[in-house]
Amino acid sequence: MTPRTRELGLLVPAALLGVLGAATVASVRADDLDLGPLPGAIGVFAVFVAMHVALRVRAPQADPYLLPVVGVLVAIGLVELDRISPALAADQAVWIAVGGAAFVATIVLLPDHRVLERYTYLIGLAGVGLLLITMIFGTRINGAKLWIQIGGGQTVQLGEVTKILAVVFLAAYLRDKRELLAIPTRRRLGVPVPPMAALGPVLLFLVACLALVGLLNDFGTALLLVGVFLAMIYLATGRVAYTVIGIGVVLVGCLAVYAAVPRIQTRVDGWLQPFDDPQGQGYQLVQSLYALGEGGVFGPGLGKAFLVTDDGGTVIPFLQTDFMFSAVASELGYIGGVGLLLGFLLLIQRGFIIAAQANDGFSKLLAGGLTAAIGLQAILIIGGVTRLLPLTGVTLPFLSYGGSSVVTNFVLVALLLVISNRSRAGHVPSRRERRRMEREAAEREAVAA
Amino acid sequence: MNRSIRRLYLTLAAGFGLLMLMLGWWQVVAADDLRDRTGNLQTQQQERLIDRGRILSADGKALARSRPRRVQGQQVYERRYPQGALAAHVVGYTSDERGKTGVEDFYNRYLSGSFGTEPLLQRLNLREKRGADVQLSIDTRVQGVAEEHLAGRRGAVVALDPSTGQVLAMASAPTFNLQTAITDFPSIPTEGGPFLNRATAGAYAPGSTFKVVTATAALESGRFTAGSTFRDTGRYSTPGGDIRNFGGNVFGTHTLTTALTNSINTTFASIGDDLGAARLGETMEAYGFGERPPIDLPDDQVRSSGRRGPGDRLLPNDEQGIDVARVAIGQERLLVTPLQMAMVAAGVANGGTVMAPQLMRRILDRGGSEVRRATPRPVGEAMDAATAAELAAMMENVVREGTGTAAALSSAGVTVAGKTGTAESDDPNRNQAWFIGFAPAEDPVVAVAVVIEDTSETGGIAAAPVAADVMRAAIEAR
Repeated sequence: MTPRTRELGLLVPAALLGVLGAATVASVRADDLDLGPLPGAIGVFAVFVAMHVALRVRAPQADPYLLPVVGVLVAIGLVELDRISPALAADQAVWIAVGGAAFVATIVLLPDHRVLERYTYLIGLAGVGLLLITMIFGTRINGAKLWIQIGGGQTVQLGEVTKILAVVFLAAYLRDKRELLAIPTRRRLGVPVPPMAALGPVLLFLVACLALVGLLNDFGTALLLVGVFLAMIYLATGRVAYTVIGIGVVLVGCLAVYAAVPRIQTRVDGWLQPFDDPQGQGYQLVQSLYALGEGGVFGPGLGKAFLVTDDGGTVIPFLQTDFMFSAVASELGYIGGVGLLLGFLLLIQRGFIIAAQANDGFSKLLAGGLTAAIGLQAILIIGGVTRLLPLTGVTLPFLSYGGSSVVTNFVLVALLLVISNRSRAGHVPSRRERRRMEREAAEREAVAA
Repeated sequence: MNRSIRRLYLTLAAGFGLLMLMLGWWQVVAADDLRDRTGNLQTQQQERLIDRGRILSADGKALARSRPRRVQGQQVYERRYPQGALAAHVVGYTSDERGKTGVEDFYNRYLSGSFGTEPLLQRLNLREKRGADVQLSIDTRVQGVAEEHLAGRRGAVVALDPSTGQVLAMASAPTFNLQTAITDFPSIPTEGGPFLNRATAGAYAPGSTFKVVTATAALESGRFTAGSTFRDTGRYSTPGGDIRNFGGNVFGTHTLTTALTNSINTTFASIGDDLGAARLGETMEAYGFGERPPIDLPDDQVRSSGRRGPGDRLLPNDEQGIDVARVAIGQERLLVTPLQMAMVAAGVANGGTVMAPQLMRRILDRGGSEVRRATPRPVGEAMDAATAAELAAMMENVVREGTGTAAALSSAGVTVAGKTGTAESDDPNRNQAWFIGFAPAEDPVVAVAVVIEDTSETGGIAAAPVAADVMRAAIEAR
């Protein structure tokens, strides 16, 4: 079985999950069979088929498991959004179509991701530039400046795009300098110190990002960027010491931020003592925990948890963006919550396998960095809604409502698949090469005849 | 680099493992604690989905029931209180904003159908989400009479079945409408403290009704009988100042029966000194003083009776330098609840055995089968049966010819035993009028305590007629 046939086969359960989920939600809502969400489900499935076809044509050897796992996550997210409000799910379906188009465009226009290495600094600058644009033209929502208004009342979150650009820049740069970094030239107080000349630009980039993100009041993206940076430094150098020192610096930085920013203070207090002020600062988190507790081990089932009030509002504020995980775990219980976590674990496992299988340092760093970004982002927000970590406003990849997040993460997956295709096709000739070989063989036969 | 990739994967996988543990904490380990927290919107919603059981009176009237309504395609239930304000403090309310009170709170496990194997059966869809009905021993006819008398006044009435401890009526005024409490709580006027259940949580000076307790201790000591004689000069000196009789009366030579009949302070003060703090304290303890009565209401709605003040030691028996003479006549910072005084009357009526007061008669599931039934339980032996008979005869005399004649039910052919009390304050318009008693004296079926606040009248005038009507209603309701 070719990888692509395997992929197509695995997409079927994902599609069934989506259709059955939507049907369950609709039947709970209407007490009889409602075909309302069916066209949407078919449309989204068509988007995935289009992505599959693009892979079949341009990246036939790419990992067959990644897209189906994404399909499952997207299906769960859509069903849950439909359950919260059908209008949200309809919106999200459109964004998934846009994301699918971006995915196909990436696969078609970027047959070889290694060209990105050529534009290392341009990409780094673009990342900082996007944050600058957000800072200048951004709209403040809920205290943080993350959104750019575009036509028609739509908003875009450029910070999400920065996530990918940062990984690409770091992969290219660290690939170049990893030997230099891996061998510290001197020690200070027993601590290995990397050569500053090599580390300088990348630190400069990081500080620029953090400064901008700090100005935007987007603590979640800041943590994510730092986390990805540390993960990639570790991948590039293999030195635990750097990471440990880095985490120490981050902790000190967090304390400084905690001391300096009142908004962060109230957030952290709401995290440490959510039940002290359940109607105020702790409200969101406490409602999330109540929803989780009510879900129990098995959960009441799709469409049956108390997530939407009589007047149509959500019980947990920002349910459809920040608290999607709570919504799923409240309806499907601990079993469902663990299932979703395993889904993400499977996703990053495939990502890291792609990184391990890649043939060159840049590909490994890029695949590892992109995967780490997805994994860290999921841990950040799920940790936030379960009180393991302070609550940050990052989205839950593939589930949260919002176009920027969907499109960015689809492109991210496309990049992983391009890398995978490159490495796995190492000895296997591409379709074009195969045709040429066939043609040559035919010519040889003709000559022989 | 693959070793680093592997380690990074394991690190992130460990992160997901931590998330699974944390999630398990909230969804499995701490789930019940979360559900029990007040203000949990999830629990409130679950409660709306349950067909909550009814609260019924002894005579079969629905005091609380649930009515279905459809919201967003879902069947939810709303609480109704068809009797409005009747027995409001006992029934209590259940509201999202204000939580639960009264029986709605105490028997919530049964009313919400989360007792025994019900939650499991409901989860497996073998049983509908329905609560059990709680039938109270409160009789609306007795309760109604009590509330009519209290209307427009402040005070409380408690009526008990002395042989079982079952509560026949428990009224507190001012009161409030239960339906209004769950729909428009702020509109209820708060003047006079309508939400306080004065019957179980009101603190009153017992006045002369406490002499029944002192008489119990006196008879039980073996040093006094109903015929013991005393000499009254109108004055009894104690280190805390002179004790005089009501209205400055002087009674001369008299018996213990006469002392109770005419509520002679000087005689009971001397008996108190004679008995000492320890013996009086023992009798109080046997009646249930010093501890919260074990009635089936939430703890915060029931208070204990006894001495209040520095140190809050409720019983006098372990205290030095106490003015026992004043305790014996119901002073010296004694504060009691009407429920406790009803238990005193019921104890005498029941041959000296004080029964635990209980509101629940039985609990029935929707199929009509009994889930639980009230079990009468003694909480103390205040005296032996012979002493009780002697004391009952003394209390009969109070109603026949003493301060309590207004409690008589001779027109109904019923003999009443009782004791009046008037706890005076500096303002003559703010006395507390008391009556405790039981009927029929020879075979008691009802024991009562009545207290009327802020009156210029004595217990014999303000409280005794109320007690008479309540006892008559209780006898007729049988």
